[in-house]
Amino acid sequence: MAEGADNETTPRLRLDREKVRGEFGKRLDSLSEQHILACYQCGNCSSGCPLAEEMDLLPSTVMHLVQLGQSEAVLNSRSIWVCASCLQCTVRCPKGIDIQKVMDVLRQMALAEGIDHFGPDQVDPRNAAEVPQPGLVSAYRKLST
Amino acid sequence: MTRVAYYPGCALKERSAHLERPALGAAEKLGFELDELDSWTCCGAVPPPSEERIMNLVAPIRILKDVRDTGDEVLVTICDFCYNSLKRANHRVSTSDLDRKRVNAFLRENQPKRDYLPSTEEDYRDYLGEVQVMHLLEYLRDVVGFEEIAQSRSTELSGLRLAPYYGCVMLRPEDEIGLDSVENPTIIEDFLVALGAETVAYPYRTVCCGSYLSVSFPESSARLCSNIISSAAEKGADAIVVSCPLCFYNLDSRQKMISELYPGTKSIPILYFTQVLGMAMDLDISDLGFDKHYVDPEPVVEKALGSLKGGGSR
Repeated sequence: MAEGADNETTPRLRLDREKVRGEFGKRLDSLSEQHILACYQCGNCSSGCPLAEEMDLLPSTVMHLVQLGQSEAVLNSRSIWVCASCLQCTVRCPKGIDIQKVMDVLRQMALAEGIDHFGPDQVDPRNAAEVPQPGLVSAYRKLST
Repeated sequence: MTRVAYYPGCALKERSAHLERPALGAAEKLGFELDELDSWTCCGAVPPPSEERIMNLVAPIRILKDVRDTGDEVLVTICDFCYNSLKRANHRVSTSDLDRKRVNAFLRENQPKRDYLPSTEEDYRDYLGEVQVMHLLEYLRDVVGFEEIAQSRSTELSGLRLAPYYGCVMLRPEDEIGLDSVENPTIIEDFLVALGAETVAYPYRTVCCGSYLSVSFPESSARLCSNIISSAAEKGADAIVVSCPLCFYNLDSRQKMISELYPGTKSIPILYFTQVLGMAMDLDISDLGFDKHYVDPEPVVEKALGSLKGGGSR
């Protein structure tokens, strides 16, 4: 590894007990009805995710960061909006974690913090005139307040 | 004629009318009637994002409660999104005491007042998940039977090489949907074989087409669909067969963008499974809605009808 290269691109994580065992993880667990700490980082979710290559954080990285209470990093990531809710990660998780649900909750948390990602004004009108309604309804429900 | 309660959903009444229309005609020829609910609303398309968004269950549960109240035990739907949304909401109220109480408490207090609906304020009965939600493919497999379809089809679609595409919400999550294996499903293959067609094996049949990203990140959907289309075309498919309105749109209309972003991607017609059924049941071609396609399905249709002229007719 080139000297210092990693430090420039990857910001160091500051871990402290308050953050790691803080409200964020508990709220995420309760809203998603999942047990985030059950994830043992096998990477199955990331390897099966058809959109992983467009994400800034791999699904397994998102899981790791939420285990460490890093709310800011995940709520401001591109990954949570790139996820298409296809449930591939969910059905392949050997620990039975509904990872798609975790993504849903993260979107909901980000939207509640005012990070409104998407609105009708951002849809190409030609596209909106053609896309079947389930596409429009789910995009608005998943990606906007 | 057997009748079964039928929930169409919004897409099938307009943008994806060519998914519904052949289904209605083919059902009649197979001896059952898809009896559309007297009144219905949007199903919500997606399940609630979290445990606290209980309101997202109200629309699907109201629909299912109305079905139960009219005395039906089975509700058939064709759209994969409606199927997923209704079935998961049903699962939710069947398995969560708290959610069942909350949704029913809301529905009891807030029943829509419409002059064409009987007032049921006094005799509200809690909805407990009694209705069985079935996909039309599931109904054809488990109630009508693929063997019966193979017996009663008018045309054998021999020579047609079709690539089934499952997408995501029709099968997943496995424990709530349970229609077929999530890793190695066969329901569309079995259906097509019953119609006399040949199926094409390719690795992308359960990989997501981008779903609603078609609205927010169309380029992402185009990339995923170009993989699916190239793979199916490489294996020699004449067409890809889908059952979801959004899969259809992403794979069909998106081919314009795909040809610009990924030049060299072969163009391939996309068919709804109901259109394939319609061809096998000899429905009028003008009823199959082929004019709503971006990629002209004529070569496939001609091949199918050619097999009819070629003596495939029973």
